[in-house]
Amino acid sequence: MTRDEALRPLARWRGQAVVVTTMGTVRPWARLSDHPLDFASADSAMGHAADFALGVALAQPQRKVVCLNGDGSMLMSLGTLVTIVASGAANLVLFVLENDTYELTGNQAIPGAGRVDFPAMARAAGFTRVHAFEDPAAYEGTLAAILDGAGPVFVSVRVEPGAEGPLGRGPREAAAYLRPSLAESARRLRRALTGTQ
Amino acid sequence: MIHAGLVLDELRRQGVTDVLGVPDNASKALLDLLALDPSIRLITVTREGEAFAISAGLWVGGRTPVVLIQNTGLLESGDALRGTAMRMRVPLVCLVTVRGHARMIAHGLEPTAEALGADLLSRADLDSVALLTQPTLRAWGVPWEVLASDADLPRLGAAFRRAQEGDRPVAVLITSDTAPP
Repeated sequence: MTRDEALRPLARWRGQAVVVTTMGTVRPWARLSDHPLDFASADSAMGHAADFALGVALAQPQRKVVCLNGDGSMLMSLGTLVTIVASGAANLVLFVLENDTYELTGNQAIPGAGRVDFPAMARAAGFTRVHAFEDPAAYEGTLAAILDGAGPVFVSVRVEPGAEGPLGRGPREAAAYLRPSLAESARRLRRALTGTQ
Repeated sequence: MIHAGLVLDELRRQGVTDVLGVPDNASKALLDLLALDPSIRLITVTREGEAFAISAGLWVGGRTPVVLIQNTGLLESGDALRGTAMRMRVPLVCLVTVRGHARMIAHGLEPTAEALGADLLSRADLDSVALLTQPTLRAWGVPWEVLASDADLPRLGAAFRRAQEGDRPVAVLITSDTAPP
């Protein structure tokens, strides 16, 4: 499926969930959503979107937290799969959009492209709710159920390679959530979640 | 020696909600107490860099986390610390046990960047991570306090103040083992 087919239904169903994007989903998500609970893990630490989202989820157990991770990013911190399950974050939904490439640096193949089985790794880490999709209709038809109920949930979505370029932040960015600094973005999300500075 | 009960009392006084890290021998006594304390959640991570990213998320969500790792893990965490807690300006206290400190001091060495060289860092009778800890923090722009004994416990409170006032991570270098209360 295309990345748009993966993200558009999520933008429709996310409700008041926090959505953490990274790498190839940062700008495409912003073309579909401009929400105070959107957060771009951009200009940040590579491979750490999922553990950042885990922290938000543990701090806000009454609120759903969705992380849109990439396959290259997931490989950088596979141990996080284990930490997520061990922490008991029942409100975290971890997506891995699999396109087999490091897209932002020119679509170089990730290690193990075409062979790495992310859903199997998630199960081996202890996830009991694991989904894998290639067909957009099946994905869209199941998404509401995925976002409902106790997790943590792992969702692999096979998407076509894209052509997103390097990420940055600053006032010229079209994506509203890329205009402030990472520090200001973190404070905005904190204010939205807690009402405090 | 630093009594773990006193450290835990200070963490409680500072309103700490979560402690994240990877165990080591020097922090064992503190970890044993934390494991029994229902008021502070102990989160063991698989690699130290995770602790900084999760802590940043916890803080964004309204919690007051603290990282507890060994200096080896601090070095491993470089980009996670830079890209999350530092870049997001999270007022995060990071307790760092300093492996190799005693041997470094026994040899009369100071942890300064000027002293570092391939010969020194490869000596079998020294632990290079102790020599690298303070120069690394200095290079990263992370301030630190030193906790060597119970008498230094006010430095722990000072670290929390510096983190809050500067909206930044502050390290606390623990240079001796924690001991049961």
